[in-house]
Amino acid sequence: MKQITVISGKGGTGKTTVASNFVKMANDHIAVDCDVDAANLHILLDPKRISEEDFVGGPIAVLTGECINCGRCEEECRFEAISDSKSEIIIDPIRCEGCGVCIYVCPEDVLELKSEKQGTNFVSRTEFCTLVHARLIPGAENSGLLITRIRNKAEDIANEEDIKLIIIDGAPGIGCPVISSLNGVDATLIVTEPTLSAISDFKKVYEVAKIFDIKVFVCINKYDLNQINTREIEDFCQNNDIELIGKIPYDDQVSIFSFTEKICY
Amino acid sequence: MIVAISSTGTSLESKVDPRFGRCPFFIIYNTDDDSFEHVENQARQAMGGAGIQTGQMIAGRGVKAVITGNVGPNAFRVLAAAGVKVYSGVSDQVSDAVQKLKAGELQGTSAPDVGSHFGTGGGGGNN
Amino acid sequence: MIISVASGKGGTGKTTVACNMALSVGYCQFMDYDVEAPNSSFFLKPDIKHIHKVTIKQPYFLRGTGADFSECASFCNYNAVAVVGDDVIFFPELCHGCGGCLLVGPEGAVRENDVIVGEVRKGVASPNIDYYMGDLKPGSMRTISIQGDMDKALNRDELVIIDCPPGTSCSMVFSVKDCDYCILVTEPTPYGLNDLKLSIEVLESMDKPFGVIINRNGIGDDQVEKFCKNSGIKILAMIPNKREIAEYYSRGDSLIEYDSSWKSRFEEIVKEIEKDIRK
Repeated sequence: MKQITVISGKGGTGKTTVASNFVKMANDHIAVDCDVDAANLHILLDPKRISEEDFVGGPIAVLTGECINCGRCEEECRFEAISDSKSEIIIDPIRCEGCGVCIYVCPEDVLELKSEKQGTNFVSRTEFCTLVHARLIPGAENSGLLITRIRNKAEDIANEEDIKLIIIDGAPGIGCPVISSLNGVDATLIVTEPTLSAISDFKKVYEVAKIFDIKVFVCINKYDLNQINTREIEDFCQNNDIELIGKIPYDDQVSIFSFTEKICY
Repeated sequence: MIVAISSTGTSLESKVDPRFGRCPFFIIYNTDDDSFEHVENQARQAMGGAGIQTGQMIAGRGVKAVITGNVGPNAFRVLAAAGVKVYSGVSDQVSDAVQKLKAGELQGTSAPDVGSHFGTGGGGGNN
Repeated sequence: MIISVASGKGGTGKTTVACNMALSVGYCQFMDYDVEAPNSSFFLKPDIKHIHKVTIKQPYFLRGTGADFSECASFCNYNAVAVVGDDVIFFPELCHGCGGCLLVGPEGAVRENDVIVGEVRKGVASPNIDYYMGDLKPGSMRTISIQGDMDKALNRDELVIIDCPPGTSCSMVFSVKDCDYCILVTEPTPYGLNDLKLSIEVLESMDKPFGVIINRNGIGDDQVEKFCKNSGIKILAMIPNKREIAEYYSRGDSLIEYDSSWKSRFEEIVKEIEKDIRK
């Protein structure tokens, strides 16, 4: 069983377009939409839901008893998640990382780590294959954790049903959602475009992909938008031994059948 | 000897799961008396370091050998430090894998499988 | 006044809007909070005066002292510390720098050092822009640490424009939490509409006033426009879909350079936002 993740660094270069075309053309595969805070793959694939499960996120600290306002937790918190009002401490759920230090130092034992539902994950059928996807409650944290969950699910299904390929639509950026989307895959396709912004982000996400020591493919979307920049990407790929496997013109009506075959088989 | 086999299910008829850190179960098998039990792999849902946590869990059970599909570098490091022998690249039914081990037909793995996993100390490391 | 420019979907034109707005009004503080993939420098072309390394404190373990670090291993919620037999193994990429090891570990046997997770670059861009850009080190997951560092430099007495990362989860929430108004940039496609609705949910849960800018207008359909009109959401501007605009963008040239009328249009947008906030 092989896994390939489609990433980009910069958003909007065409990850989902490319990933969805792979999904339509491949055989014996499962699709996973790991762009969990702005999932779009389902818009193209028209999935019929088979099952769903709550996603309970990583725990954060909550006050469960009477705070004496000693300030110990505020002192020790490295993430500036704790401040105080006149009567008790206030924990900022956006900043809290659930490390447990405040629980450890609280002299009154009134702090606890609690997890809450942060979203839902789904297994759906589409015309082409099973799709594993999720919805994060807007504003929720732990996209990286949710991605781990849906990938586990997809791998479980692939093991059970003897499926040979998992196609993962990744998230933009280079942070923990991308890292969770790359962990343990066999190859990644970086979809980029010939703009200064995209080139800068491509090089950054390539650095992340290198840490994983996985096979990197690149394709350039809208390649004829700027020939000088396209040349820069081509040169970079050549100098770093990265396989450039396709170029899509600045045009919606395009066939990417040629490099779909190359990756999937 | 106590052996741990990554498993898709809870019985000896289950298939060996290709993942060490993220398999759903382990079959803990005693090759001396052929007794066995299954354990749930709690570490599988961790965002990072699943293999690290699983490796410690396995080592803590007195396991001397692991049979699985793939072991990443982090997990491998933990197992090596614990003196646990790794047999990877296995994809049979659990019972067949155990028989192969007993018959000396399995090859030990001396290095992590291809495909790094996050956390191998690429930057910011200090020890 | 702090204006955040955000979007659920990536690549809709946040940086285009944020940068062109800054270039139009000048005299502002510009913060590029998209620290994983910052792009504003291509358009604002700042003269960087200072680079500040952002660090977290990570533990190191004094071995060979017979000390037992198993408390550190069981305390760590991120699997960054493993203890097997007498050996302690530390995995720095997983460590959040919470300081737990120092607290629970054997006295004197756990120390810390500063580990670089990225940097913040500070400079000036014309006309009169105080420029800040965060840049996360590839391989690190400490997006929030870089953004948190930039938070400290936010100057509420000025006009602040924050270029946000895409998405609707923690790094985006961090970039809008202090804003007085959020501009949501989207594209007129089913993706754009889907992700716009998600972004709106976030902003509404945070009680943030917002308006929409539709970019690449003409590339899709009128569903986003209809949705905004039916929901009473103000459309601040519509930028047309033109290949030439994309070409300018690809070179780091601004929308204003393509069409100078956008300067006064962005000035108007800022004035309109100021009025809306006062209401």
